[in-house]
Amino acid sequence: MAQLYFLHALGASAREWDEVISELSEVGDCVALDLPGFGDSADADLDVAGLVDWFAQQVSARQPQSWAVIGHSMGGKIATLAAARARDGDPDFAGLAAVVLLAASPPAPEPMAEERRAEMVGWFDDGHVSADEAATFVDANAAIPLPESLRAQAIADVQRSGRRAWTGWLERGSREDWQTGAGTLSVPALIVAGGEDGDLDEAAQRRLNLPHYRDARVEVVAGAAHLLPYEQPATVAALIREHVVPAFGRTLPAPFVALLASERVSRRTRAVMTERHAAPPPGKLLSPQQRAVLAALVETVLPGAADPVDLAARIDAMLTSEIGDGWRSAELPADAEGWTSGLDTLDRLAGGFADAVPADRELSLRSIADGTLDKTDGGLDPRQMRLWFAEARAEIARQWMALPATMARIGYDGFAVGGDGPHKQGYQRTAADTIEDWQRLEARA
Amino acid sequence: MSAAADIADVVIVGSGAGGAPLAARLAAAGLSVVVLEAGRAFRPDDHVADELAADIYWMEERLSGGADATAFGANNSGMGVGGSTLHWGAFCPRPDARDLRLHSESGQGEDWPIAHDELIAYVKAVERFIGVSGPKHYPWDDARRYELPPVARNAPAEAMARGCAALGITATDAPAALVSRDRAQPHWGERQACINCGTCHQGCRTGAKATTDTSWLPLAVAHGAEVRAECRVVDIERDGSGRVTGVVYVRHGERRRQACRALFLCAGGVETPRLLLNLDLANSSGQVGRNFMAHVATQVWGRFDADMRMNRGYPSSLITEDLMRATGADHAGGYLIQSLGVMPVTLATNLARGAGLWGRALVDLLADYNRLGGIGINGECLPSDDNRLTLADETDPYGLRKARIDFSYGPNERAIDAHARRTMTAIWERAGARDIFAVDRSAHTIGTCRMGHDGDRAVVDADGRSFDIDNLFICDNSVFPSALAANPALTIMALSLRTADRFLATRG
Repeated sequence: MAQLYFLHALGASAREWDEVISELSEVGDCVALDLPGFGDSADADLDVAGLVDWFAQQVSARQPQSWAVIGHSMGGKIATLAAARARDGDPDFAGLAAVVLLAASPPAPEPMAEERRAEMVGWFDDGHVSADEAATFVDANAAIPLPESLRAQAIADVQRSGRRAWTGWLERGSREDWQTGAGTLSVPALIVAGGEDGDLDEAAQRRLNLPHYRDARVEVVAGAAHLLPYEQPATVAALIREHVVPAFGRTLPAPFVALLASERVSRRTRAVMTERHAAPPPGKLLSPQQRAVLAALVETVLPGAADPVDLAARIDAMLTSEIGDGWRSAELPADAEGWTSGLDTLDRLAGGFADAVPADRELSLRSIADGTLDKTDGGLDPRQMRLWFAEARAEIARQWMALPATMARIGYDGFAVGGDGPHKQGYQRTAADTIEDWQRLEARA
Repeated sequence: MSAAADIADVVIVGSGAGGAPLAARLAAAGLSVVVLEAGRAFRPDDHVADELAADIYWMEERLSGGADATAFGANNSGMGVGGSTLHWGAFCPRPDARDLRLHSESGQGEDWPIAHDELIAYVKAVERFIGVSGPKHYPWDDARRYELPPVARNAPAEAMARGCAALGITATDAPAALVSRDRAQPHWGERQACINCGTCHQGCRTGAKATTDTSWLPLAVAHGAEVRAECRVVDIERDGSGRVTGVVYVRHGERRRQACRALFLCAGGVETPRLLLNLDLANSSGQVGRNFMAHVATQVWGRFDADMRMNRGYPSSLITEDLMRATGADHAGGYLIQSLGVMPVTLATNLARGAGLWGRALVDLLADYNRLGGIGINGECLPSDDNRLTLADETDPYGLRKARIDFSYGPNERAIDAHARRTMTAIWERAGARDIFAVDRSAHTIGTCRMGHDGDRAVVDADGRSFDIDNLFICDNSVFPSALAANPALTIMALSLRTADRFLATRG
């Protein structure tokens, strides 16, 4: 079963998620963690890298094959940096399918008024946070006072915070600049802000967190401030469900993820496969109609095999990047123009290729491929169409075959032939009808 | 522009099979040598077992025309310290004596201006240095010995062995330029025995495969040569008499100059002629760019009942040379057959383009990847006036015009293709394959600056020296007068050593 990891805010504990989790039991196995120095865990002074290391241990100990991370405030910075390590091929974080950030602290130094920071650090001057100070903290972070039982719990969690963890985050962790390390992430992200939050409001989320995520949307929860899981648990749970269920739906099969996470795979190979499994960067070359024609072309070239919309997006991204396959037919215009003209010509020839029934699409393509098409009335001529269709179907096949999901489907394990150690593993058996134990994917789950 | 104060005895453009061996030999002879390589330097560990992510190919756009337009990109030229040897298949049959005298034998093609015996002496020197695995007894050459035992056969190799045996065709373990046991490489370190990972074309991660960056270049550096990565040569400077005085190259956006006493272009069968044509140099013969040749590289595929998983193991682990001169053949020259192990993305591209497949047929085949097996040829290609490299009107980011290569099979290539299809289909039928089909494909970039005795018909002489500019040399597959059926890299390395020796013997 997929797992959801919950990382709480400064001064909170795993308990802040109780009501959210109660609505998500059917979505996956929910693991709410006490960050070091909070809740029931011993006090610790970890920098941000140390916190991400700690989280890596938590995840790898449970070996999830498909998982999401939900980070609240301080937990959000850890979530984003875990996603960055997953992107870079860290085996501990293999299988990450989605990220949810709630009023999250960004990879950049967290915006916070210095006097407020000093005040909060000062609460520990006498060794512990008083009930009044804790209540001030909790009340200031909620749009309207929390129900009494939750408020009491939140206050108690602040009071049991470890001094080193509390001051370490405020004085250092929240100020560490991880923008370069976070870079750009392709894992699908949902970024949630409280409509009445302060320093980490929607504007801050858009400015500081959103630029790190290529495939993200921002949601604002009205009537809530910073303590989102306490303030609006049902709304938060619904948002999480809405985001992670489709993401889990497109995860790779568990045994495949286990192999990808294994030491047989190099970090670099794992990173490129993880990246490719995510949605492609936005393509900007094709019009919506050209995209639709391309999707229909994908469906006709690889019927029932590829996700036509996804593959069309990948080809648009490839064309937008201007990184092609190193050559083109001398009789075709440059790739960008070749593809747009080819798609337009195809659409016109078929009297609306995107909306045609499969049999008519096939007929159209067949006349292009076998040379019986005698005129095109503008755009690419019949000979160019034949060359372009050869190029198009090769590109479609290339992009589809390179997808980790396709590798999983055909039972290909040739990426798992040597990790990063001084001796690579390769294959010991190469003869037909022989197989090594590690290749029995079904047995790895 | 920043200027290097020193004049190098020799500048070599390109660090692959053409440039690296001569860099080592010239440096060992005491010359100051600078190698300029367009791509970056890799450690074996940097390579990635993924077809799209592998970054060792020349991916700058080339335009391909003609009736049998050949594919570029990942299909042939390399980029990086090591050149195309970073991704080559390491399949290294020796050049056949008959192929070097094809015109004398058949009246077609060209003879080489170098005797076979002389070339083979250099081939043996190359084999000794890089380490070649092969069979104990080579059926087509009793005297031949390989240093290392053959690597493991993969499933398509076993199938080919079955099919060949049933037809009375002799086949054996292929000579492969990789080490089947750990082997110390001078000035580099221990090359680990091949681990059968199958990713030769994505870059060898263990050093088992012979690449110039783990063999010739460390030797060259040990003798004082300098290898400069990420240096794109964009101009060649000459004095009033037309002799080369230096090169201009771009490194990280900055134009730099390196003076030299002699220049060797070793940038491959496309980039070498492209540079000369862009600069309008060394072309009084009008032969630069002409006679582009690509091996006929037809493949035959089929489905097996067995679980083949052809990505495992050294891809080309079986060879037959029986078809080098087939009885009653209707073509000049001949072809080698090898078993294939092709990675999924390359296969998908070849099936969609080269076999014209799409729709259900394509999906069903690709879904059956683990049960597919193939064999392929490397067949002679005759030089032709119609096949040539010219400059397109479009320019690259350095302002140099892109290459346009027009290539069409002639009657001889068509005859070889048809003959090979029949032979391979028969082998595959006897091997137990079903749903057999062929894939059109050509490979390698050959010719375009051919060598010869006559400055009206060739760009360089037998020593690789330009007929027009006496301190300009070419050493790569562009100097081949004819294609030879053997895969080119071993021959290029042998020529490279010979070119170095001839340079040392003849320089003033």
